[in-house]
Amino acid sequence: MKTKKMKDSRTSTIIMHNVLIGVLAVIWLIPIVWLLCTSFSAYTGINTSTFFPEKWGITNYINLFHPDSVAQFPQWFLNTFIVACINCVISTMFVLMVAYATSIMRFPMRKPLMNMAVILNLFPGMLSMIAVYFVLKTFNLTNSYAGLILVYSASSGLGYLIAKGFFDTVPVALCEAARIDGCSEARIFFQMVIPMSRPIVVYVIINSFLAPWMDFVYAKMILNAGVSSKYTVAIGLYKMLDKSLINQYFTQFCAGGVLVSIPISILFMIMQKFYVEGITGGAVKG
Amino acid sequence: MRKKLISMLLCATMVATVATGCGSSPSDLTNSAGSASSQGSASSAGNASSGGGSGETVKLTVWAAENDQDYLKERVEKFKAAYPDQDFDIQIGVESESTAKDTVLTDIEAAADVYSFASDQLSDLVGAGALANIEEVGEALAMAGKTLDEVKSANAPDSIEAASVDGNLYAFPTSGANTYFLYYDPSVITEKDAKDWDSLLAAAQKAGKKVGMTLNSGWYVASFFYGAGFTTDLNSDGTTAMDWNGTSPDGIKGVDVVKSMLDITSNKAFRPIPDGQISNVFASGDLCAVVSGTWDASVAADVWGKDYGAVKLPTFKVGDKDVQMKPAYGYKFEAVNAYSKDIGWAVLFAEFMGNEESQMLHFQQADQVPTNTNALQSDEIAANAAINAAISEGDIGVIQKVGGKYWDPAQTFGELIAKGQVSAKDDAAIQKVLDNLVDGVTAPIN
Amino acid sequence: MDNESKGAVAAVKGFFKAVGGFFSSFGTAFAKGDIFVKLSLIWLGAGYVRRKQYAKAIIMTVFEVAVILFSVFFAADYVPKFGTLGTVKAERVFNMATMKSEFNDYDHSFMILLFSLFSFVVWFVAIIVWIKNTINVYNLQVMEENGKHINTFKEDLRSYLEEKFHITLLTLPVLGIVIFTVIPILLLIFVAFTNYDQQHTPPTELFTWVGFTNFITLFGGGGLTATFGYSFIRVLGWTLVWAFFSTLTTYIGGILLSLLLNNKKTRMPKIWRLMFVMTIAVPQFVSLLLVRNFFADSGIVNTICANIGLTGFLRNIGMISTNYIPFLSAPGWAHVMIIIINIWVGVPYQMLIATGVLMNIPEDQLESAKMDGAKPFQIFVKITMPYMLFITGPALVTDFVKNINNFNVIYLLTQDVYTTTNQALANSQAKEVDLLVTWLFRLTQDYYNYKMASVIGIVVFVICSVFTLVAFNFMIGGDKEGTYQ
Repeated sequence: MKTKKMKDSRTSTIIMHNVLIGVLAVIWLIPIVWLLCTSFSAYTGINTSTFFPEKWGITNYINLFHPDSVAQFPQWFLNTFIVACINCVISTMFVLMVAYATSIMRFPMRKPLMNMAVILNLFPGMLSMIAVYFVLKTFNLTNSYAGLILVYSASSGLGYLIAKGFFDTVPVALCEAARIDGCSEARIFFQMVIPMSRPIVVYVIINSFLAPWMDFVYAKMILNAGVSSKYTVAIGLYKMLDKSLINQYFTQFCAGGVLVSIPISILFMIMQKFYVEGITGGAVKG
Repeated sequence: MRKKLISMLLCATMVATVATGCGSSPSDLTNSAGSASSQGSASSAGNASSGGGSGETVKLTVWAAENDQDYLKERVEKFKAAYPDQDFDIQIGVESESTAKDTVLTDIEAAADVYSFASDQLSDLVGAGALANIEEVGEALAMAGKTLDEVKSANAPDSIEAASVDGNLYAFPTSGANTYFLYYDPSVITEKDAKDWDSLLAAAQKAGKKVGMTLNSGWYVASFFYGAGFTTDLNSDGTTAMDWNGTSPDGIKGVDVVKSMLDITSNKAFRPIPDGQISNVFASGDLCAVVSGTWDASVAADVWGKDYGAVKLPTFKVGDKDVQMKPAYGYKFEAVNAYSKDIGWAVLFAEFMGNEESQMLHFQQADQVPTNTNALQSDEIAANAAINAAISEGDIGVIQKVGGKYWDPAQTFGELIAKGQVSAKDDAAIQKVLDNLVDGVTAPIN
Repeated sequence: MDNESKGAVAAVKGFFKAVGGFFSSFGTAFAKGDIFVKLSLIWLGAGYVRRKQYAKAIIMTVFEVAVILFSVFFAADYVPKFGTLGTVKAERVFNMATMKSEFNDYDHSFMILLFSLFSFVVWFVAIIVWIKNTINVYNLQVMEENGKHINTFKEDLRSYLEEKFHITLLTLPVLGIVIFTVIPILLLIFVAFTNYDQQHTPPTELFTWVGFTNFITLFGGGGLTATFGYSFIRVLGWTLVWAFFSTLTTYIGGILLSLLLNNKKTRMPKIWRLMFVMTIAVPQFVSLLLVRNFFADSGIVNTICANIGLTGFLRNIGMISTNYIPFLSAPGWAHVMIIIINIWVGVPYQMLIATGVLMNIPEDQLESAKMDGAKPFQIFVKITMPYMLFITGPALVTDFVKNINNFNVIYLLTQDVYTTTNQALANSQAKEVDLLVTWLFRLTQDYYNYKMASVIGIVVFVICSVFTLVAFNFMIGGDKEGTYQ
């Protein structure tokens, strides 16, 4: 009798517990569901009267792949993909290089350099934006992907802290042993530390791959010739919500948002484990 | 000894920099359009070195609004065809007329050679030296077999005056009557109702519908004050002059205008529409009348059918006087970038975009009201209700002369009234609001 | 804390000591060096030639020639004008024959500033290299005198993969940071002392130095609109409130959510977690712009609220005066909504971090606490939170600074839709919901007021540094580096 009662209350708390999570999950997903629903709406403007569209259709997706002068989604997607890939390579290299040098190696300028990095990180990025623009213009790199990639990757070394935190957990003894065995620092870096740090490498790769998909401020400033086919996804979609266009393109914007989110979600799903390990391994040290 | 790698790298960078530096130096000596100390020279070197004359490719970047892209493409092709002996490389970009100034002033040299903009941006663009003085470069029009005077006389005198500062023409008018008027649903509102706010709101209330107008925008909110005889003006230093907190030449007090506005906004049948959302709200079908411009003609036809009504703005009551609202009346201009590398061709193209043929075509495709006097005579124009309403406001419309500091305070002022956050009974509070508005608008630049 | 400040003092001391050592060894090299070392002061490669390190000699010579060429052909055009930032305005004449405008040799203030700064950086590096070079050459001399082995070029190159590997690693990233972060920041610090604004925009106009005028303006010295100082205080206040609450709410929320998900009672935790992570996967500009339309005055949420009578209820109790709920369009409402929406955006992130940290929480502590009959809440307060704080404390400080500069959330949610009704703010182009960075952004984008934007940027920097210093000194005990190694 007694045991059964206990079991009952157990099950009921379990149900309550899961219901609570369910409610939270629903709250978190409402906007995403709305995004999805709206993207399948047959109407072009903002749907303000009902949550679900009155008429369903996939015209928005079809239109996305039939570029007009405003929306050239496939082109934008390609542009962003190229920028993201190159940025990914450069940024990942930079971050890992700086993290390794500051974490594993010891040299006289190490502390001053790290302090400098802390100070530089305190300046609002918005402030230097105009100056960055003119620096790029000096090298004739505005309105080019090279310029955009440089902006994303050149200063990426400053974001080395999380990776450094992770490298700090690599036992010193291991590196010492390798050095005694006559391994060069380069070999320790490439053949020992990097393979041991898969989670953080994945974390850095995802982060730098995502930057060009998320950023619209720098992209808008650098690709300022107004040529739509050169946009990245972020500016292209952002411009769809221009006052004069929102009524014709809002649902297409949603469809574009869905299409961008799908690959990113898949990336996240695959990498979730590494991501958690990487971010925490590093954040532990902050 | 770490210096070695650093130094190697520095070498590379510096050789590169020196190369760029040197690269620009020769062009300083031989350049035709570039600038010595400025960046522009480096890129103009290419033009200069390929030699002057007609053999060289003319590179132009041109901007138009998103919805005018097809129109622009067609025009570019026609322009190229008009000069078969000349090689062109014309890039087409997207930039809305209403935001052109923001983009251009961020970096004038990087802006398009030719772009269209709304007339209220003229003063800031001229102030920043972004616009070519057409009087100085107008002789280029000889290539098109025209003179500047001919171009000026082909357009309505008002439009030329609006495009001029101190008697110098700074841009080519492409369309006019960039203004707002009253759309109404003839099944609910009669033409007589649409004449003044009181009867308009009464009729709307009877039908259970709303009358919409944007108030939180300096462009719309000014119509009440212009109607009462108040003015705004632009000083030579770029600041704005404003007298709304006093008494107008017509003997109407600013406070009383605000009171009348509050009477309208407090009416249950009135619906203030946030700036930029008119089309959206319009399309929702809750309205029986709305203040908007020609760009919403197609929405009106969709919602109320082809026979929708469009008339000039109604009158409003100040005390017992009927005061006619006077809208801000603007134009769209085609600009020539003062720092254009091929400025002569840029002038030709800008003029081309403003000629009779282009204006007529733009009217047919996008309901843009021509400024060309011949085009204005066309029968098609007489048949378009919205455009007629816009043109009919030509006598009452006010060319809005304001500087950059006008917009934010005016927007907030409109929002205060739209939300009814000042009491119509409290004269002192209203006076304070007006004083604050004038303080903000007339503040020195920066 | 005492320890900390001592540490800081020691760091500063160490730095000066290192600098002092650098110059003193330069002095030694200069005094004791042979003729080739002294010759190296003029021809950087001289010493290497003497020690038969020809490759190095060539590299240093090329470097020297490059610096000289740079100075003569590039820097000489700009640096002399640095004091005035240019005096010649642009003038142009149209040439009908070429269909082009011909410009005079005019000055571009911004380019003068930028290139002068660039030249200073190059020269600074060149001087360091020059001194270091002299020291190196002298060391070579000493080594040769003592009959030690002098590296061949090949051996030198090899060392960059071994004990000097950090140089190989750091050179490119540091160069990138110098060009794309350090120079821009220095440049805009300079701009704060000029009158670069809409009235003085190159290339048409010139700008020049004005000293501390802009700082005086910001702190109520007049000159600008009368309300600028007032707006600054208001915006600063909201920036701090926002940074505090957004950091705190997402932090606590993330921990709670991860506790909830990692609880043994949770069925299929991975699926649940994925649902929350989905919100991160949607780019912010999509999700935030969407949410903004979701909560718009005439948006879907308002329609629903009106239908279920919530709007009417709020009207009746006097919470709102409009016939819609001004979620993102009235002060107060907007402030709260922005923080709530930020919870929506930020909690899944923090949840991921907390999940990882909590996985490492010492099990024995939890077990013994349970044995002692501690309630879950007590465990949370006594064990979980202190552990989290200990581990993620530094990240919390960084988050706060990031939130002070959180441009995206505020800009995407309020730009173009929020209209202030505070005339004093409007007269300074500010809004109640602006952070210092969004205000700064609008000042540059819409009003070209670069000088004031720079001043505000410097103030933001000062606030962030003061906060970071204080936080690190009071909150976080010691430098944890090495505790895990």
